[in-house]
Amino acid sequence: MKFNAAKILFLSGLVFGCAARAALTPEQVRQLPAPASHPIDFAKEIQPILETSCTKCHGHGKEKGGFRIDTRETFLKGGDAGSAVVIGKSAESLLVELVMGFDPESVMPQKGSKLKPDQIGLLRAWIDQGAKWDQGVWLGKVEARNLKPISPKIPADKKFSNPVDSLLDVYFSANKIKWPALVNDRVFARRAYLDIIGLLPPPDELERFVADNSADKRGKLVKTLLSENREYAEHWLTFWNDMLRNDYKGTGYIDGGRKQITKWLFSALESNMPYDTFVAQLVNPTPESEGFTKGIVWRGVVNASQVPPMQAAQSISQVFMGINMKCASCHDSFINDWQLSDAYALANIYADEQMEQFECDKPTGKMAATKFLYPEFGEITATNKAVRLKQLSESVTSPKNGRLSRTFVNRLWGRFMGRALVEPVDDMEQAAWNSDLLNFLAEDFVTHKYDVKHLIERIITSRAYQLPAVNVGEIEKDYVFRGPPVRRLTAEQFRDALTTLTGVGYASADAKIESAPAAKVPDITSPKWIWNMKDAETKGKAGTVYFRKTWNLAGPVSEARVVMTCDNSFTLFVNGKKAGAGKDWSYTELFDIGPLLKSGENLIAVEAVNYLPGNVAPTEATVVPGSENPAGLLFYLQIHSQEGGVDKKTEVVSDGSWVASEEKMAGWENLGVASATWAPAVELGKISILPWRLSDGVITRKLAENKPGTIRAALVAADPLMVALGRPNREQVVTTRPTAATTLQALEMTNGDTLSEILKRGAMNLSGHTTPSRELVQKIYEQGVGRKPSSAELQLAEQLVGEPVKREGVEDFLWAVAMLPEFQLIY
Amino acid sequence: MTDWNRRDFLKTASAATLSALAAGFPNRLVAAEAAEEKINATADTVIILWMGGGMASTETFDPKRYAPFEKGMPTQKVLSTFPTIDTVVDNIKLTEGLENIAKIMDRASLIRSYTAGDLGFILHSRHQYHWHTGYPPPQTVAAPHIGSVIARTVGPRNPAMPAFIDIGQRFDLGEGEELKAFHTAGFLGSEFGPFLISNPEEAVKAVRPPEGMSPARFANRDKFFKQLAAKSPIGQLGSDYQKESLVRSLDNANRLLSSDAAKAFDLSLEPKESYAKYNTGRFGLGCLLARRLTEAGARFIELTTEYIPFQYWDTHENGHTRLVDLKKNIDAPIAQLVLDLEKKGLLDRTLIVLASEFSRDALVEGKPGNEVKGQVAQPDIIEDLKFYGMHRHFTDAGSVLCFGGGLKKGFLWGKTAEERPCKTIENRVVIEDLHATIYRAMGISSKLAYEVEKRPFYVTFDGKGKPIMDLFG
Repeated sequence: MKFNAAKILFLSGLVFGCAARAALTPEQVRQLPAPASHPIDFAKEIQPILETSCTKCHGHGKEKGGFRIDTRETFLKGGDAGSAVVIGKSAESLLVELVMGFDPESVMPQKGSKLKPDQIGLLRAWIDQGAKWDQGVWLGKVEARNLKPISPKIPADKKFSNPVDSLLDVYFSANKIKWPALVNDRVFARRAYLDIIGLLPPPDELERFVADNSADKRGKLVKTLLSENREYAEHWLTFWNDMLRNDYKGTGYIDGGRKQITKWLFSALESNMPYDTFVAQLVNPTPESEGFTKGIVWRGVVNASQVPPMQAAQSISQVFMGINMKCASCHDSFINDWQLSDAYALANIYADEQMEQFECDKPTGKMAATKFLYPEFGEITATNKAVRLKQLSESVTSPKNGRLSRTFVNRLWGRFMGRALVEPVDDMEQAAWNSDLLNFLAEDFVTHKYDVKHLIERIITSRAYQLPAVNVGEIEKDYVFRGPPVRRLTAEQFRDALTTLTGVGYASADAKIESAPAAKVPDITSPKWIWNMKDAETKGKAGTVYFRKTWNLAGPVSEARVVMTCDNSFTLFVNGKKAGAGKDWSYTELFDIGPLLKSGENLIAVEAVNYLPGNVAPTEATVVPGSENPAGLLFYLQIHSQEGGVDKKTEVVSDGSWVASEEKMAGWENLGVASATWAPAVELGKISILPWRLSDGVITRKLAENKPGTIRAALVAADPLMVALGRPNREQVVTTRPTAATTLQALEMTNGDTLSEILKRGAMNLSGHTTPSRELVQKIYEQGVGRKPSSAELQLAEQLVGEPVKREGVEDFLWAVAMLPEFQLIY
Repeated sequence: MTDWNRRDFLKTASAATLSALAAGFPNRLVAAEAAEEKINATADTVIILWMGGGMASTETFDPKRYAPFEKGMPTQKVLSTFPTIDTVVDNIKLTEGLENIAKIMDRASLIRSYTAGDLGFILHSRHQYHWHTGYPPPQTVAAPHIGSVIARTVGPRNPAMPAFIDIGQRFDLGEGEELKAFHTAGFLGSEFGPFLISNPEEAVKAVRPPEGMSPARFANRDKFFKQLAAKSPIGQLGSDYQKESLVRSLDNANRLLSSDAAKAFDLSLEPKESYAKYNTGRFGLGCLLARRLTEAGARFIELTTEYIPFQYWDTHENGHTRLVDLKKNIDAPIAQLVLDLEKKGLLDRTLIVLASEFSRDALVEGKPGNEVKGQVAQPDIIEDLKFYGMHRHFTDAGSVLCFGGGLKKGFLWGKTAEERPCKTIENRVVIEDLHATIYRAMGISSKLAYEVEKRPFYVTFDGKGKPIMDLFG
């Protein structure tokens, strides 16, 4: 009933043969805020009001009530209710009456905050002063920015080999900026290693690079780094886990409400899958990639805007198109021009049944259409969902969709340069500070068949990337590019850098990925499948069996890794301490148990459970004849220890020398508990026997892919240190992480257990040898910050580390280096 | 407050908050109508006593007809498994086992009509998220914990102490991921996240040098670091906010460790007699820690009995016997906390709120008329003591016990039915109103909003929270 007053006025106008309205009563006129007393500046004072409070319904191509404010002409023309203003007479103007809200049913704006008295005063003054508009102001329909696949003209000069620099040269000239000298080799190398593979440059590689005199050595370095597929994938996994809401633990994974895409994602990165194929496989997924559009299915009732198809619509829009559809999922958006029906039309593509539109969580009775945000890229016509998804993926990756490439190119520029071409990166409808650059990079990306590594190379080999870091400051006004700001290592980069420094990484990966096959090393086939009864590989009794194995070690252990699996689940104890567990026989687990072993007698104890058929945990009542099914334990331990100054390799494998028991004795997992009553384990057969048929190379491969303690942070679930440093909970899409240092982070770094442990073990690793402290300090500097220490630094550090080297001194020195801004920041 | 009143702000803000702002935290305060509201705070500190798991209100603060255990009794008969006891306030009764709290009810405001949201299936983590952020999950942005909102809005009280401290919850168990989801500052930024102390007895570790490091070595390490940093060539590249925020954050951390406030974390410094009064277990000692931290200038503390699926208040069976223990755990320490704060003249400006995500009933799951899928097998006839108690999840009533902070004393708010279903029949309280009340006590408008992704996110659900003015003295 909102247009009643206006309609009545209009009709009464018709009846009386003119558009005359009833004037305001004297009382109402008295209530009007006084007109502002200064000369009005339209652009600064009136245009913002129109844009904030009026364009939603009367601008940007809309014309509610027949009223458009595209130009001064259309504005003065008015709408169904008559003219908006009487020039020179604000008290008689319909506009003023409506914004005053004398009639609550026809107050303007209908949605959003009402105008304040001072704003009305400005409007009054403006009307009284003649309602002038600045030249060329257009509040009508604006073409979406950064959408069309246009190519900029590249300047013809031959000064620069990379068109990025040619374009930037034009920008610098226009902004009267002189090209600064490029950063030196060390700074460049550190940036490139961290940006491409997420690791610090190894000192020997770094020194070789610095000493190299060949032409275009920087370009060659970039190519080399891009060819390290595994390290590359491990680094970019984090970027995509954040954006695709993928994690190894979290809400929904246990109850089936959420599905990982880890295996697919890692493989796509390792093989440098073209970006358009990548997007197509996420939009129109296989079972391996469907986790992204599946979202999180919450148990219970959720707001209508959060049902999985709506989540899919929001996620696809944000990640691939740089459009925020979250607001439009509940109502027509207040922050952009997208509408509720747009969000539903996109969500509907993923729905199993046509969706009803809910506004603010209340049903409207209106059913959703079916279309992509930009139907001009391709219509969605199919009734079959599978075909619809295919059509959608074709739309999204259509050559007409210039937004796809621009959104991604913009994100990468932002990653490498610290600030993107369009900010914020999830609002691609904003103007770029240089659209030629954006357009060039996007079209270059497309021309090279969406090759992501080519795009990375394009940016990182530009002179723009090699500019010295600038101090951007906290709040930017009128941004002008002069170079990349100083950046901070991400949580994962910091953690991996610590691994480089200390040798202490993660012992096992949570990410279940298949890596590329390792170089040919002889297969390790000595372990046998064992259980406590014959024929367990076909007819094992359901229930728990305890296993023990003891052996002697002569010298200190430098490395010890276990590869094992069990049908169905196991818990591993080493010298009484729990060391790991597993519950899927098809996936071998690797554990780094070096710290748990000792000289002398050692004990491996395993609690192994054979489930009932159907993967159900057995209970006394349910273990009945007929419920027998395959059972088996497979175990391999490789130990490297020092015996008489010589490196010795020892292997402990599952075989008949183990003992087993079905009875749980108190302390069964500890040394010193007699296992005389235990019976010898029964060997069932070699690794490859039925029913498991594991490959002979499974153990070798597992060992090769996971060197001890160097598993990277991207492959493990978050720990307190990672969380403190900014690893997000990936329930929402995360496209950028905040980088400012916080007090809680600092507390975690100052006395948190996680970091302390790393430093302790690192110091143990490093101080174990008889290296002189000077050499140790130099090595740590070279590894940590890529240079030799100055004599002043050396002197300080040697004092702390001590000579001979003190373990505590090394610990504290490692801490200090890790806290250095030079270590934590990317200059 | 579209422009910070700089001088006032600097007076009360810590270096931590300043560094946060300087580091360019993206969220601007969205003024709206909130700025026009001038609220005089009646409290400086908030202590939430979180009874995680679903505390049965008819077994604690809202007694109903008592039916003692008899083998063969019908479940229907069971409304309370504890007899009613008097308190020092005539019209307020509690259940047996809360005698100490009964003695101080003349300092209390008791709400009996808290009702949880309708989230379909009963899931602790979802209701806990809802309780702590005021928004039902899932949300399109990471919603902040009420403690983070307060930390961000009013800042720390003692600049050396983290503004938001969370005591008693471990995260490597059970629903760790879902629990983490609301124990964060969300989009407000991790500067305002909780400082976690999972075991109050070991709280002092959080403010000491790492295990095995002497204070002398710790100080030496820091001195050495500063010298090394000064020698780094980066210094010559000029200052920038990244470097400054790194150095400043380390300084803040050190300041806490070397401050007087750090002593508050050390329970061994408490006189033995007083310690003994609190020592009923981890929660009791947590109350002692909360008191000490309040004295030392804490702003927001959440102390929990800890949520572990099926443990503590999450009674899917043995409801009665477990509540005997739970009440023993909480009764004396809570009373002592209130009395001690009162003695030290702090109670009036400290708002204590005891609450749980929902209540329990022996039969009803959810709300009458809006029941949800049952999750607990409860026989019609009780043969075994383990079925005697409140085992189902009841969301149509709930007790919230408050002390201090400018609220009325000896006051009762809200009524529940005497017969099953013991639902709220008067003055229903929903989470946004409860939050609005807490915010008002802290001088914060319920319509305050922070900007995230260009939209306002209100500190109470869509800005609709209304403080319960009847509660204020």
